[in-house]
Amino acid sequence: MSLVEYALQATLGANEPWPDDVVLFQQYQVEQITLPDYAQVLAVETFLHMCGLKFRVEQRTNAEEMSPSGKVPFIQVGPYLVSEFEPVVGFVNTKGFTLTKNMSETDRSEMRAYMSMIDSIMGNAELYMAWLNPDIASEVTKPRYGCSYPWPLNWVLPWRKQREVKAKLKANDWAYKSIEEVCEEVKICCLALSERLEKKSFFFGDSPTELDAMVFGHLFTILTTILPGGHFTSVVKEFSNLAQFCTRIEDKYFKLGFEQ
Amino acid sequence: MGTVQAKKSRKAEALSDGQPKGIKTSSIPIEKKNDPSVIIFDKLPVRVQRVVVDGLTRTKDDIIIKEIKPLLSAKTFEELVHLSYGAKVKMERLGLFKNVVIAIDVSKDKRENGYEVLFEVQEFRRVDGGIYTSISNNDGSLDFQVKMPNILGRGERFSLDYTVGTKRTHGYSAYFRKPLNNNPDMFVGSTLYQFHGEYPWSGYKQTDRGIGFDFTFPTFLGSHNLQWEAVWRDLKSLSRETSFAVREQAGHSLKSCLKHTFSIDKRDDPILPTTGFLWQTSQEYAGLGGNVEYAKQDGTFQWNVSLPLDTIFQVSLAGGIMRTLDPRASISISDKFFLGGPLTLRGFNMRGCGPHSHENALGADSYWLTAAHIYSPLPFRPGKGRFGDLFKTHFFINAGNLGNIDFSNLSGSVSSLISTLRWSYGAGVVLCMGRSARLELNYVIPMRIQKGDKANAGLQFGIGIQFL
Repeated sequence: MSLVEYALQATLGANEPWPDDVVLFQQYQVEQITLPDYAQVLAVETFLHMCGLKFRVEQRTNAEEMSPSGKVPFIQVGPYLVSEFEPVVGFVNTKGFTLTKNMSETDRSEMRAYMSMIDSIMGNAELYMAWLNPDIASEVTKPRYGCSYPWPLNWVLPWRKQREVKAKLKANDWAYKSIEEVCEEVKICCLALSERLEKKSFFFGDSPTELDAMVFGHLFTILTTILPGGHFTSVVKEFSNLAQFCTRIEDKYFKLGFEQ
Repeated sequence: MGTVQAKKSRKAEALSDGQPKGIKTSSIPIEKKNDPSVIIFDKLPVRVQRVVVDGLTRTKDDIIIKEIKPLLSAKTFEELVHLSYGAKVKMERLGLFKNVVIAIDVSKDKRENGYEVLFEVQEFRRVDGGIYTSISNNDGSLDFQVKMPNILGRGERFSLDYTVGTKRTHGYSAYFRKPLNNNPDMFVGSTLYQFHGEYPWSGYKQTDRGIGFDFTFPTFLGSHNLQWEAVWRDLKSLSRETSFAVREQAGHSLKSCLKHTFSIDKRDDPILPTTGFLWQTSQEYAGLGGNVEYAKQDGTFQWNVSLPLDTIFQVSLAGGIMRTLDPRASISISDKFFLGGPLTLRGFNMRGCGPHSHENALGADSYWLTAAHIYSPLPFRPGKGRFGDLFKTHFFINAGNLGNIDFSNLSGSVSSLISTLRWSYGAGVVLCMGRSARLELNYVIPMRIQKGDKANAGLQFGIGIQFL
């Protein structure tokens, strides 16, 4: 394709509000995807559903390697590839879709604070649980991560990934926490969310925001994934309003014909 | 290295021209004192009584004895010289010694026709090394090598290499090779390597980690090489501009393949031959474990003929085809064929022919390529007999094509491979670099280009080891 054609297509992509052929890439959901990755995928999917944007999910064993940032999920919109939650939100905003139009500046910064709390606590806790808990890592995460590769890669690649995650969690001191401490962190995070949510339908006002998508992504994943020990599931279940929130979001965005 | 020195012997001097070098005979029994010039070496009866090999430290006795033993059966002096020389060459080729000097002398106990042969051998240093520059296709690299020749005393060779290339390529490798049956042309080898390469024409980079074993043996027809290789390949997009068609092939794959290469090389030079032919075919089967399954067939034929006025006519043909053996998976970009470049299909950019996605060459399942060259010396022949002989001018015409094969419609695919051919012609200068690489500066006129091809009309510069 010539450069002119390419540029033309890029411009078309930018002008067109939301093309019909948007694809979200993720790993195979049943056999392959790991808990932290699935939480991210679900958050992005929920966000797109909340914006009322159409997309198709494509499962690829090499979704992680295909992604420009090396992380799932990523969406393909015309010639653009955008990966991870925040960049997707930013990209969707530039297309003129936003969930935070009517929010005040204070609410918006409060929402961002909650989002970064979830990112740092839930994100790290999920990584910790999936890769550093010896039982879960060896029985669930590593076999799933390596399931699409032949021997000996099905052993080497999960090991390499585990080493990577360990290094990351050592850098932010999460690796040195005990499982009780991690559960305590999750509990504090859930408590903060639960108190913010109270009896409302959404965290801010009467319509969903990015925060709702993110909370749903993480909590729903934790609630529905059965892992040996079940530490997080029991922590989250203590907060009934959060569990109800998850059911509500699931009913609203995943059972009413949005899922294709 | 010494030369044949036979005292007072014109015959010996005459012999020294036609005789192999590296032999010194310190004295000759004087049978006819009056006329030393009539010693007839080829008839001179000989009984070898002693063979001494001096300078052995780590080389094992058994391998030496095997090479030396035939000397004891020598009947005439000429035979003895030939056998000694043969043993010397073979021991050097086996990688046992850096240098061998042969001394043939009358035996000390003065028996009639008694001789003894002394091999003064110089073994390699245990550890040797060096820094070399090497050339691969349009890429130069620096090699740091540590080698241990004759490491176990039977011609085994072990080497460690580190390579850094100009295109951000780098790699390590360890290689071990052992001659079998005292035959320097028959050997087993094993290698362990990691190599990182970047392929900007196709928009990807790849790290290979592999292990391989190979067995090379000669037959009366040509040389065979059987290789098993397992390689873990980590393919990544080179940049954000990499096309999606390449990007979706990113990830890890494990290829375990068996490859057989058969070659007959009767040319007098691998880079600028003047006569002889090369025939090389290879079959590759991938799918012994791993997740890459295909069968691949590749072949090259080159024929050279000398014409009057020091010109050489050369015709080359090459072609290859592959097929996936896993119906659910297509062949990865790193296994596919590519065509185009300043040393193959001239007049096109590197990998400039065939299917492209945006700017990235995707490769295909089959290709064919033909080339005809007429080489001649430089006009007015500057530096004749010296530096100038490394240069040649050439006129060429090359044609080829690259495409995917639909095995359910084979004849249709083949006819489209012929009907959509690309061709170009031109002239230029070729420089032979060492005996391993060549450099070309050509003016090329591409005559047939297909849609999507990246043609390069006009001056084109190429450097590399593979060419047609």
